[in-house]
Amino acid sequence: MKPVGYFEGESMTRRRVFTLAGGALGGLAGAGIILPALGFAVAPIFDQPEEDWQPVGPLDDFVPETYVPRVITIVQGIGEAGKTTVYVRRGSTDLGEDPDSYVAISTRCAHLGCPVRFVQAAGNFICPCHGGVYGFQGEVIGGPPVRPLDRFQTRVTDDLVEIGPRYSVTSQLEPVRARDPGEFTGGVWEYLYPPRPSTAAPPSS
Amino acid sequence: MNNREKEQYLREYEVMKKKGKPFFPYAVMKDSVMACVVVGVIIFMSLYLGAEQGPKADPTTTTYVPRPEWYFFFLFELLRVIKPPELVPIATIGVPTIAMVLLLLLPFYDRNPERNPLKRPIASIAGIMTIIAMAFLTFLGANAGSPTDIEIDVAPEYEAGKLVAAQSGCLACHQFGENGNNGPGPKLTEIGARLNPAAIARSLEIGPGIMPSYATMAEDEPEKFRDLVAFLASLNGEEEASTGEVGVAGSGSVESSGGNPAVVEPDAGSSADGAGATTDSGATP
Amino acid sequence: MRRPPKPGHSNGNGDAPAALENGDAPSPVTDNPGKRLTTGAKDAPADLVGWVDERMGATSFLTAMLMRKVPKGTNWFYTLGSATLFAFVVQAITGVFLAMYYTPSPVEAYASITHLTNDVFLGEFVRGMHKWGASVMVILVFVHMARTFFFGAYKYPRELNWVIGVVLLILTMVMGFTGYLLPFDQRSYWATIVGVNINGTGPIVGPYLSDFLRAGPEFGATTLSRFYAIHMLLVPGAIIAMIGAHLYLVVKMGTTAPPWMRADLKPKDARREPVEAIADGSANGASENGNAS
Repeated sequence: MKPVGYFEGESMTRRRVFTLAGGALGGLAGAGIILPALGFAVAPIFDQPEEDWQPVGPLDDFVPETYVPRVITIVQGIGEAGKTTVYVRRGSTDLGEDPDSYVAISTRCAHLGCPVRFVQAAGNFICPCHGGVYGFQGEVIGGPPVRPLDRFQTRVTDDLVEIGPRYSVTSQLEPVRARDPGEFTGGVWEYLYPPRPSTAAPPSS
Repeated sequence: MNNREKEQYLREYEVMKKKGKPFFPYAVMKDSVMACVVVGVIIFMSLYLGAEQGPKADPTTTTYVPRPEWYFFFLFELLRVIKPPELVPIATIGVPTIAMVLLLLLPFYDRNPERNPLKRPIASIAGIMTIIAMAFLTFLGANAGSPTDIEIDVAPEYEAGKLVAAQSGCLACHQFGENGNNGPGPKLTEIGARLNPAAIARSLEIGPGIMPSYATMAEDEPEKFRDLVAFLASLNGEEEASTGEVGVAGSGSVESSGGNPAVVEPDAGSSADGAGATTDSGATP
Repeated sequence: MRRPPKPGHSNGNGDAPAALENGDAPSPVTDNPGKRLTTGAKDAPADLVGWVDERMGATSFLTAMLMRKVPKGTNWFYTLGSATLFAFVVQAITGVFLAMYYTPSPVEAYASITHLTNDVFLGEFVRGMHKWGASVMVILVFVHMARTFFFGAYKYPRELNWVIGVVLLILTMVMGFTGYLLPFDQRSYWATIVGVNINGTGPIVGPYLSDFLRAGPEFGATTLSRFYAIHMLLVPGAIIAMIGAHLYLVVKMGTTAPPWMRADLKPKDARREPVEAIADGSANGASENGNAS
């Protein structure tokens, strides 16, 4: 049985060498283009975040009973597009929190990232997209969100409240590394939605 | 299809092709007419509907209500109707992936050699059902009201209360007409037909079940609270709520605790049947 | 052993130049250029078409493509595919001109669209054509697919073309999704946030995929240019390649006949059914390409 394209006097060894060498060299040339391009596109996944703390106001601005909205910058250098709103309040002893601590809740819905809003009258956070509802501490009380609202680390420096990196919480409000919306936290989910190198370490609780 | 069926098809196709006309210019003419229609429609839409810019992207907003382009409405509605958090990955990734795989592999599991849509009822019905389901989801998605706005028509004296209801987060858990979430709370489109104003006021103050209490509002802003109760009491499922009588009774009896505890939360067990609630509007005040 | 006729091998055109893939079809122009030159070279080419054809030999290709026969009974439903192609061409052309004014940076994108829409001559019209052309194209893709489904046109021997068509559907949706962010208004921004997070809900790889799409853990400086590159270079390239394959298969396999039309095979034909092929059961008739003969 002669292969397709056989011609008179063709040596099969020579043909095989040429087939292999042609394939290998072509593959090498292709890899030489594809691999650097792919690495270039994928690199941002492994960028380490810089820890950035921003003051949002004096201690007296914040009370335990309600949230105050504050705008912070989470991505530098892109103007308005790099900002986000956080809801800040002082720790509440009624809820078993340290009265000298501050709680900063992210406005990104934990379902798919729509902008949630704190409704004073109901004491709830409400998402306008798919119907997520969160309680006063950001815990899920209705709708499809997969985990409580994310939080930002807080600290006090020179009588100013400062906001740091974002982190996610489990349904028991234990801090874990920041996840994207739509990703579960806690238990076996920590392996199904692994933490990414591009996120900051969570605060030790 | 086995070899015999394949050959049968090819032979039949050959015969039909021989009887046909050449692609150029006969089919080309039809294609050109269609191209004119397409470009005409696009130009008409561009001129008539324009290309207005929305407000600039603002990641700090807490009041914007995001809605997708119309051709993603079916997915948007799918995400809205699938409520249990455990099922979220199924709605976001699972259903679209399965649908795409089924679509991609269609010729490999549909081995029926018959091509006439009337002679392969299962495939045709499945296709029609898929189209209806997509159209229905798109329709629901397009009509999904915002949770910060109530679009029911009410008499002018209830407009203030309507505004209070829209801004107080009621829509997060309750549906008013087309607006708001269907659950966890019951639909309120005809709450006025089921509860008297005193019972409504009591429910708001107590906050039955997981509902938050609005007692602070009753104390701090009694005006707003009265408007809210009057608005809720006026809702009887009809577009133009009856005026007068109910409103007076509502504002008069806010402080009385006449509500029977049994009727404070009439629909607690059936909070999911929002669709049914629209149809049984036989009760009149 | 007698084999079933090869799909697409004969285009039903009698003695017209044979199917596309046979470069060796008997054709007075390409078959023997040397011979033609000896007889034709002394005359200067009579016209431009003749001059080009003498060097390209495109006549046989064009004849096979344009003069192929379309089965009797094909109707307006069969124009949906070409209408979709035309909508894509509208998108490509308007897109090129929009790109001349657009700046893919989160700081300037919105202002560049405002400038394009309000100040540039016909700006709003061209942007409107691109915006509504997208909707028209999505509708046409779906209607074209529905037609193919209900007419059973995805069945043998056109399975591969259905698969390519579904890939084109997915690519069209990707175009819709990536194009959405570019105007950088509220709807664009939040729809993109939600869309990227939807990708992120895929277990294990999802979180990395959304980092890849955003070029970082948050919407950042290069997210917009990433979407821009995908929208106007990567996916259109893939779509053009796929449309090429799609059309090649349409020409090779021929347009389907409407499913309610049946040809009366003569009894003589029916008697000549190759019994061996059935008993043999091997699918060699389907697996070979049209080169044998």
